[in-house]
Amino acid sequence: MTLTRRLLAPGWYRAALGVAIGFGLGTAIVVVVRSLYGWDPVFKGDAIITVGALVAAPFGFLIGIGCFDYWFRWASGAPTIPEDHSGHGAYSWRDYFRVNTDHKVIGIQYICTTFFFFTAGGLMAMVMRAELAQPGTQFVDPNTFNGLFSVHASLMIFLFIIPVFAGIANYVIPLMIGAPDMAFPRLNALSYWMLPVAGVMMLSSFFAEGGAFATGWTAYAPLSTETPMGQQFFTLGVQFAGASSIATALNFLVTIITMRAPGMTFWRMPLLVWANFTTSLLVVIATPFIAGSQFFVLLDRTIGTKFFDASAGGDVLLYQHVFWFYSHPAVYIMMLPGFGIISEVISTHARKPIFGYRMMAFSLVAIVILGFSVWAHHMFVSGMWSWLRVPMMITTMLIAVPTGIKIFSWLATLWRGVIHLRTPMLFALGFITMFTLGGISGIMLAVVPFDIHVSDTYFIVAHIHYVLFGGSVFTIFAGIYHWFPKMTGRMYDETLGKLHFWLSFIFFNLTFGPMHLVGIEGMPRRVADYADQFATWNAVISISSFIFGLSFLVFVYNMVASWRHGPLAEGNPWRAHSIEWQVSSPPPVFNFDEVPTVVGGPYEYGVPGAVHAVFKEKAPASAAVPAPAGGGGAPPPAE
Amino acid sequence: MESASVAHGHADHDEHHGPPPANRSSRVEAQFLGMLLFIISEVMLFGAFFTAYFFIRVVADSGWFPMDGKDLPKLIAGVNTAVLVSSSVTMHWALEGARRGNRRAMQVGLLTTAALGLTFLSVQVNEYVHIGFAPHDNAQGTIFYGLTGLHGAHVAVGLTLLVFATLRAFRGHFTPKEHRGVEVPGIYWHFVDVMWIVVYSSVYLL
Amino acid sequence: MSERDPAAGSPAGPPEEDPRIQGERHPIAKMIGLGIVASVVGIAISLWIDWFPQSAAGSANKIDTVYDVLLICSVPIFVLVMTVAIYSVVRFRAMPGDMRDGAPIHGNTRLEVFWVTVPFLMVTALAIYGWIVLDDIEAKQPNTLVVKVTGQQFTWSFDYPSQKVHSTELVLPKDRPVEFRIHTKDVIHSFWVPEFRLKSDAVPGLTTKIRVTPNRIGHYQVVCAELCGIGHSTMRQDVRVVAAGAFNSWLDDQKQAAGGAPSSGGGGGGGGGAPDGAAIFAANGCGSCHTFKPANATGTVGPDLDNIDKPTAAFIRQSIVDPNKVITKGFAPDIMPQDFGDKLSPEELDALVEYLLKAQK
Ligand code: HEA
Ligand code: HEA
Ligand code: HEC
Ligand code: CUA
Ligand SMILES: [Cu+2]
Repeated sequence: MTLTRRLLAPGWYRAALGVAIGFGLGTAIVVVVRSLYGWDPVFKGDAIITVGALVAAPFGFLIGIGCFDYWFRWASGAPTIPEDHSGHGAYSWRDYFRVNTDHKVIGIQYICTTFFFFTAGGLMAMVMRAELAQPGTQFVDPNTFNGLFSVHASLMIFLFIIPVFAGIANYVIPLMIGAPDMAFPRLNALSYWMLPVAGVMMLSSFFAEGGAFATGWTAYAPLSTETPMGQQFFTLGVQFAGASSIATALNFLVTIITMRAPGMTFWRMPLLVWANFTTSLLVVIATPFIAGSQFFVLLDRTIGTKFFDASAGGDVLLYQHVFWFYSHPAVYIMMLPGFGIISEVISTHARKPIFGYRMMAFSLVAIVILGFSVWAHHMFVSGMWSWLRVPMMITTMLIAVPTGIKIFSWLATLWRGVIHLRTPMLFALGFITMFTLGGISGIMLAVVPFDIHVSDTYFIVAHIHYVLFGGSVFTIFAGIYHWFPKMTGRMYDETLGKLHFWLSFIFFNLTFGPMHLVGIEGMPRRVADYADQFATWNAVISISSFIFGLSFLVFVYNMVASWRHGPLAEGNPWRAHSIEWQVSSPPPVFNFDEVPTVVGGPYEYGVPGAVHAVFKEKAPASAAVPAPAGGGGAPPPAE
Repeated sequence: MESASVAHGHADHDEHHGPPPANRSSRVEAQFLGMLLFIISEVMLFGAFFTAYFFIRVVADSGWFPMDGKDLPKLIAGVNTAVLVSSSVTMHWALEGARRGNRRAMQVGLLTTAALGLTFLSVQVNEYVHIGFAPHDNAQGTIFYGLTGLHGAHVAVGLTLLVFATLRAFRGHFTPKEHRGVEVPGIYWHFVDVMWIVVYSSVYLL
Repeated sequence: MSERDPAAGSPAGPPEEDPRIQGERHPIAKMIGLGIVASVVGIAISLWIDWFPQSAAGSANKIDTVYDVLLICSVPIFVLVMTVAIYSVVRFRAMPGDMRDGAPIHGNTRLEVFWVTVPFLMVTALAIYGWIVLDDIEAKQPNTLVVKVTGQQFTWSFDYPSQKVHSTELVLPKDRPVEFRIHTKDVIHSFWVPEFRLKSDAVPGLTTKIRVTPNRIGHYQVVCAELCGIGHSTMRQDVRVVAAGAFNSWLDDQKQAAGGAPSSGGGGGGGGGAPDGAAIFAANGCGSCHTFKPANATGTVGPDLDNIDKPTAAFIRQSIVDPNKVITKGFAPDIMPQDFGDKLSPEELDALVEYLLKAQK
């Protein structure tokens, strides 16, 4: 291809061009506006970076890489060009670096990208732990330290936990409900491509003048309206991540509502589908609030509005109310899909029907509803209306009830099962125990008098990591191991998987367990330096955290090596009932030759002769796709 | 939001590929449902701005217009409200045209709707120019511009969608059976319209 | 609730028929026994751990009790989860090559009602208890001493309005109720004395309050608990709880100092009326980042000001007004706030420079 052709066809060359044009346009707009209004200086660095680099260039990238080609033609009424064959399936690793509308390719793209950001965020945590190993300042100055934990948490939350669940669901859900793809495949691709934009933005804030954004992932105003340029990278990065997650959630909802296989009633949906359904509702309803909160900050910073300026009639607590109205539901956005994964893993590997299936679904809905009525438990000491504290304490504590239903039902599912202690099951068990701990510390935090003492201490940091690492991340590991054979067509190494589990389980507890204690003893969070009395425990925490970090290498090695050389996987290595296991591993390009018909519940283990779904024609699932006119009969990927 | 084009039937996939047609497990159309969900999240975005409005006007309680001798032009904005409401009527007319296969009515309806929307926006910009305070003067100014500006941005998005629909209408798309390209932007337009009534009554009237 | 799907077959018989627990007589009773033992041990250990710092106020004991109650309730829940999980894994683990399925149990309404009700009652009881304690520790008390607390990047200052005393050290009388009225000059801070167990954010535009009755003489620290910028980790300051008599004489000292010479600190400043360098140094939080002996400051974020690189007035002034102009070796730019030039009046600046200069060798 000639360079011009390359620059015109969707792809990285055009994306580079798009970035350049976007940046140029943004700069031009700033310069023209500033000179029209006679503002000085005409070339203002901050403004140019905001408009050019953080708004226009990303759009240039998205257009260049090819997210909008189809829509542009469609919108103008021109005949649309169906994509070339890269639109479905991936035939080489290069296809993962293109805009692709196949939900399975997008799923893999999501998972790999998010794990990249997990590694980045984790390495930042390692630097933090190195700095905190002793009192005083050793490796990084306080400003960098504040930047590190802010970017650490933002990457972990907005670019790892939330999207990795979307990635796993992207891969699995259409297969599970018997749909050939998502409802809006092109929107799906756009959702994915907004993520690297958001992530790169947050990472590159370290190069901004004044360092990375350093106000925590909560970015409380008015600190966030006063800090240097780096904050803008957060404010705008979150918008891209948020837009991405709203678009995906909408897509899941529409897919689940309109594209289920015949016979798949709501009460026959696997619980992972239920979990993503409820999570998506949360996302669609709550995420606009964080967009709002960051718009306020952005406007206060750039054009000097007075949302958070108390002396001009603004209100500081407004920020926290709007932020937590999203960010508390967000913690369930980060947990409910994990609940879904655990339900699949436990029933499959314990070979038993989920105990109390309907209550499991209802409890998800209950958590969603309650989840909207508890946001102010993050503000018990914020100086907000004091009458709001007790109602919020009660609603918060009530969440223990539906969550308890889930925990106890999983335990009851284990009871009298035939438990195969494979890696996914180990992580599921690790999850149940660790999440219970994290949940209990959450209940303690909900008790206002206790929270008044421990709010903003390391006790919170301990709670965060018990629910987010021992909770969410363990479910992610369980899910990755569970569906690894389906996604790659190969088996992972069981011994390494178990080693990974035990290393992480032990050192997870050694790292985050003692934080409860130092928190109660009086060590505040978000500090680069601390009083000498906490030195011993912090040294212990830091050392275990390094081993904990290294345990992740076992996982990475296992994944990479098994994907390349692992033994081939059968279609259904776990003898599971749900539909995704009834097709080949990896699934055919279009998932099914014929949409299956669902005839029973998804977890009828032990019921003689029970099946979940049947295929009308018992053709081998990997048979070639019916030869389409115009030649599309490329064989399914040979991986 | 992704309506099927004329070249495509129901399936969102390209015909020359070979996925099995998805089962339709709900009577609701995917595009329709997608737009509905999108509107829900838009309502929540307005919700965030209304929360700000509530905090600034009620909680911080440092006064509301008329303030420092500046008032909001209730009357002009009222007329503007009428303009926007009537554009909803013309939008409905365009859709009816599409349903009945009356191409002319559809085209004229879409054009008038877009024209009315544009009128609304220009009146709004004119209001900004003459209103006498700026978003950075005080929090009241901030939230006035915040809410009306957010709404204005939505009008602009709605207009863009309308322009697409109009373009397509003139290029021969849409039939009585297949006119989601008019229907779906229409829903959005009605939403923008209703939202304005809420903004107008809370910011200008209350 | 837990009705079975029509497609499901008939469930296996009662648990006794499961060959894997047939040998055992009362598997559930055994688990309960184990659970109780483990809970008792767990509770004992968790209560034995010395979680809290010293308690120096009435409310502190109540909050410590809340935590003890929470521990006593939580340990059995955790033990329950662990026992069932471990027991199931041990008992029902698949043998290699085991291709059987588990018992097709789909639910049990009684059990489910049970585990909805018990946690519900438990959290309701805890919430009510929490509410009572909250009301108790926040109750109004007679004869309160009002202290106005002001946070600013990165230092605290304290006013005793009825005594007309201003100080950078918090001194409190023992056994007298104190009401803190908390403000901030810039961003959000959080006023926290771990030994009192109470904290409250200092919020721009608001006055927040906490009430506390110190009951133990000693030295503690105010810790800033809300991220407020670069110096957040150093925003700690002394609190002294003293006997009532000592408190009154301290107040008198302060008043005298304020009347004759400038307020706090031992640096001793310029003549009558002129701004006092020591006070400015304390009031602007310099000490949270810098070590400076005359002010008893021990910060380590910035260089030691006892040995300034170039001990000239011009250099010191520049270092304060435009800290990024020359960056001291071993430190990073953008850490020291750049707005002292605007915050301080020229006279204050002169006094501050003078104060620093005098201490150089
Ligand atoms: C995955 C994420 C996740 C999850 C699931 C949770 C779950 C919960 N969280 Fe957590 N939380 C966070 C992530 C999460 N949290 C984060 C990131 C922060 C810090 C934000 C910041 O400031 O940076 C935070 C902070 C936070 C606070 C604010 C503390 C402060 O800043 O002062 C509070 C206070 O109430 C709280 C409470 C709870 C409660 C009650 C639950 C409940 O949902 C837990 C329910 C679960 C159980 C209770 C266990 C299982 C139940 C049983 C076994 C039944 C029996 C139990 C009982 C009867 C008790 N959390
Ligand atoms: C999903 C969310 C998530 C995850 C997974 C983690 C993972 C980790 N977190 Fe984080 N954390 C948060 C969410 C998360 N965190 C949040 C929300 C906050 C609050 C921030 C705020 O206050 O605003 C926080 C804050 C936070 C703090 C407190 C900062 C402060 O208040 O001052 C600390 C301190 O120890 C910490 C540590 C860690 C560690 C050691 C890990 C480890 O688990 C990381 C392990 C991973 C790796 C190490 C990377 C991969 C490994 C390799 C590539 C191998 C090479 C390894 C070595 C060389 C050792 N985190
Ligand atoms: C948030 C932390 C912080 C605060 C608060 C702070 N400084 Fe600094 N200061 C620094 C750092 C870091 C440096 C070294 C980097 C530099 O030269 O800018 C520094 C450098 C200096 C120097 C130059 C020292 C030398 O040896 O070259 C002087 C003088 C100084 N500060 C005075 C002050 C005074 C006076 C105040 C209070 C009004 C103050 N600082 C407040 C962080 C701080
Ligand atoms: Cu002040 Cu942190
Ligand atoms: Cu919360």
